[in-house]
Amino acid sequence: MSADVQTKGTPVPSTENLLLDYIHKLERHRHGRSACRIRLSLLQAQNRREHHVRAALSTFEGLIRRLKGQVFALTNSDIVVVFKDVALDEVQAAMIKLRFLFDDDPLLMNESSEEHPPFVEWYVVDKDYQTLLRMAQSMVNEDIERRTQDKQRSEEAGQPAQRQKRRDPLTPALLAKLQTALIGADLANMMRRQAICAMVGQAPPQPLFYELFFSIGELQETLLPNVGLDTSPWLFQELTETLDYRVLSLLNRHDDRSLQGDVSINLNVQTLLSQDFLTFDDGIKSSQRGTIVIELQKVDIFADLNAFLFARDFARERGYRICIDGVTVDSLPFIDRGRLGIDLLKLAWDASLVEGKLPDGNLLADYVRKCGPSRTILCRCDAANAIQVGQSVGITLFQGRHVEQMLAAETQRLRGGAYTRRRP
Amino acid sequence: MNLSPRDPGGPEVITQEHLLLDAAERAGRVREGRLAVHLHLSRLRPQNRQEGYLRVAGRMLEPMVSAYRGQIFLLSNADIVFLVNQPSALELKDQIHRLRGLFAKDPLTNDDSGDGTDLFCTTYDLTFDFDAFIAMVKESLANARSRNRGTQAPELKPIDAAGLGAVLERLTMLDAGPFVRRQSAIELSGANANVIFQEFFISMADLQRAISPDANLLGNRWMFQHLSGTLDQRLLEAMRRMRLTRHPPAVHLNLNISTLSEPAFQAMEAALPEGTGLGVEVQILDVLAGSRAFFEAQRTLKERGRHLVIDGLNEATLTFMDVGRTGADLFKLDWTPELQEPHRRDVVLSALKHVDPAKLLLARCESETAISWGIDHGLQKFQGRYVEAMLAATTMAVCDKASACTLAQCTQRHAVIGGQLRQDCGNNLMLDTPPPMRAPKRKVPAR
Repeated sequence: MSADVQTKGTPVPSTENLLLDYIHKLERHRHGRSACRIRLSLLQAQNRREHHVRAALSTFEGLIRRLKGQVFALTNSDIVVVFKDVALDEVQAAMIKLRFLFDDDPLLMNESSEEHPPFVEWYVVDKDYQTLLRMAQSMVNEDIERRTQDKQRSEEAGQPAQRQKRRDPLTPALLAKLQTALIGADLANMMRRQAICAMVGQAPPQPLFYELFFSIGELQETLLPNVGLDTSPWLFQELTETLDYRVLSLLNRHDDRSLQGDVSINLNVQTLLSQDFLTFDDGIKSSQRGTIVIELQKVDIFADLNAFLFARDFARERGYRICIDGVTVDSLPFIDRGRLGIDLLKLAWDASLVEGKLPDGNLLADYVRKCGPSRTILCRCDAANAIQVGQSVGITLFQGRHVEQMLAAETQRLRGGAYTRRRP
Repeated sequence: MNLSPRDPGGPEVITQEHLLLDAAERAGRVREGRLAVHLHLSRLRPQNRQEGYLRVAGRMLEPMVSAYRGQIFLLSNADIVFLVNQPSALELKDQIHRLRGLFAKDPLTNDDSGDGTDLFCTTYDLTFDFDAFIAMVKESLANARSRNRGTQAPELKPIDAAGLGAVLERLTMLDAGPFVRRQSAIELSGANANVIFQEFFISMADLQRAISPDANLLGNRWMFQHLSGTLDQRLLEAMRRMRLTRHPPAVHLNLNISTLSEPAFQAMEAALPEGTGLGVEVQILDVLAGSRAFFEAQRTLKERGRHLVIDGLNEATLTFMDVGRTGADLFKLDWTPELQEPHRRDVVLSALKHVDPAKLLLARCESETAISWGIDHGLQKFQGRYVEAMLAATTMAVCDKASACTLAQCTQRHAVIGGQLRQDCGNNLMLDTPPPMRAPKRKVPAR
């Protein structure tokens, strides 16, 4: 999933926090679920390296994909799996694989003896809820302690504790690590929505649909705080494919009302052709498909046009609408929405649009007329002038921080109005 | 839908073919009103029958098949067979039409065998055709069995991020010289054909074998794009160290736009002999991924008298993008035999009608047919294996050491820039100095 880079000042959740949060949410859904903690942290150091944890996590991939469980990879290398009881056999099969993977570690060799802690702790959520909650809480505390110590250490070393602006580039090895961490992460807390609104004249913005996206800023802060995810466009694109699966599984859970209604989601062409998307599609009422917009990045479309055409025909046949995203003023002349057979085009605001001309000298207004005023979205409108410029060339659809502010102000005004009306 | 994993993850006891036979035999008890449809997707070109496409095709059939109490079988050779009970003829036709549309790019969907038989799909009315149907099903089962027994080499899995990290590490120590290949492009002028430039590139097949024998470097587009940045560096270093007896009129390199601002590019440029031209070849994707950087690069290349080339054009890219807007100096159209089909030819030619024919090159010419097609349509520049073979043949005709070699050897030695293959040639000067060639002539006059 391609996501906008947005950074906010709010504290960022660690995997431990995500776990605790999830256990809290689970309180009302205790029945029919179990959990286990796999104590990779007790293995010998050479047995709990990056690739071991990755291998262990991948054992549960099927479980997550079929939406029968959630997996959390904790900072100390432990893995917590919460799953529906129907998947118990599958989880036990996974345990056999894991034991096989680590069978030469003293922890497993001596497992039967009393004085050794077990490799796996099991919880029946209904019965052991409090124990599970305590375990999650202690994991959070351990993590906080670890972070405090790290901070102290770096302060002692004479480095400022606050994050440095310069970030390391994203490398394939770091990407692999990130993908591992994402296999089990519940990213619900990082999901953001932003309205795409019709704005004509001075009338208040009318939301048409809401784009759902992961806050890449928070993802970065939580998982790889010192790495710039945008330093390699291609590795980032690969990361978005991993995120696609997370967003589909989130949307499939149906337990979050904010994720329903008229929405757009960012996906890759290859994801549209995957089993995960078909599973997602199964869970969508046919009446709802028409209200879902799928946003595809222009590079993804042009990277394999034939795959795009195939996926496009399929998605449209199923009733989804398609939007091309990531279009800039410089690439705009190359993009012919009508020829591509796409419903919507999203152009990113750029200060040079004020001139009303494209790089090839053609008028922006002419382009918008040809593309369709009600099919062109000007996004990243962070200031009022973007809306004015957009409207002056005939654009009627807008998205961005300024649009959000206007919407919030409008909501405020309506609330205020209702309050006044209630008074005698 | 009955799904079986198509990747051989281990021996599978019950195959789709077994289930199909079972279902077919049961259907045989009450044949009235039952139809079976066999979609011959295995006959599609490999690139058009990727797993995701087949999955989607199966999915599109599901609503209709379940409405008519049927079943779908995805066979191990990529074919799909489905059974339906008293379907609406119109709906069935419509559904097959839609599937055909999905694969419209593949010649299979509009080919016929010459006798009117539809090669894309076969429909069996079980009331009349049951025997033929069951024979087909049994044959599929037998074929699937022999396929399973066959010792097919498993396909390499696409490279992932962890694998790429390891490959990049190996690349830091690697001398790319032995992996560099070259190919000449010719231009026809009157009765002659002259080499106008040589393209130098890293042979991915050889590199794959050397540094990533167990993961396909080309299997994941984004991973490859990232890798290509490092490959650019290695190629530029190898070019800087390259020692030829004589340089071609111009050197062409496939590079990322971002590479052009790297010191390695400037170093390579500085090492080029005086008077040797330089062309930078980029893909459509590079133009779109960073249009601003692309136009900047184009301007600076132009200022220095260098050429910018758009590589890899085909029917799809030309249909969806107005490539003329790139203002490039040369456009490379990839030859495929399908260009001989009138409607495909028209799509391509009309997309290029505003481009000066002198700026067009037909690439990947693997046969004489390609060259003839190009000449018929006003092209003058060509590149590809057939051109290489022509060059080697001409070289052998005039080389005084030719009696010691075969045409294949001469072609291979032309392609490398160093190593044993080049040393085996008794006349390196000839390898680097293409002799004047006669322009290929049309055997059959144009329409």
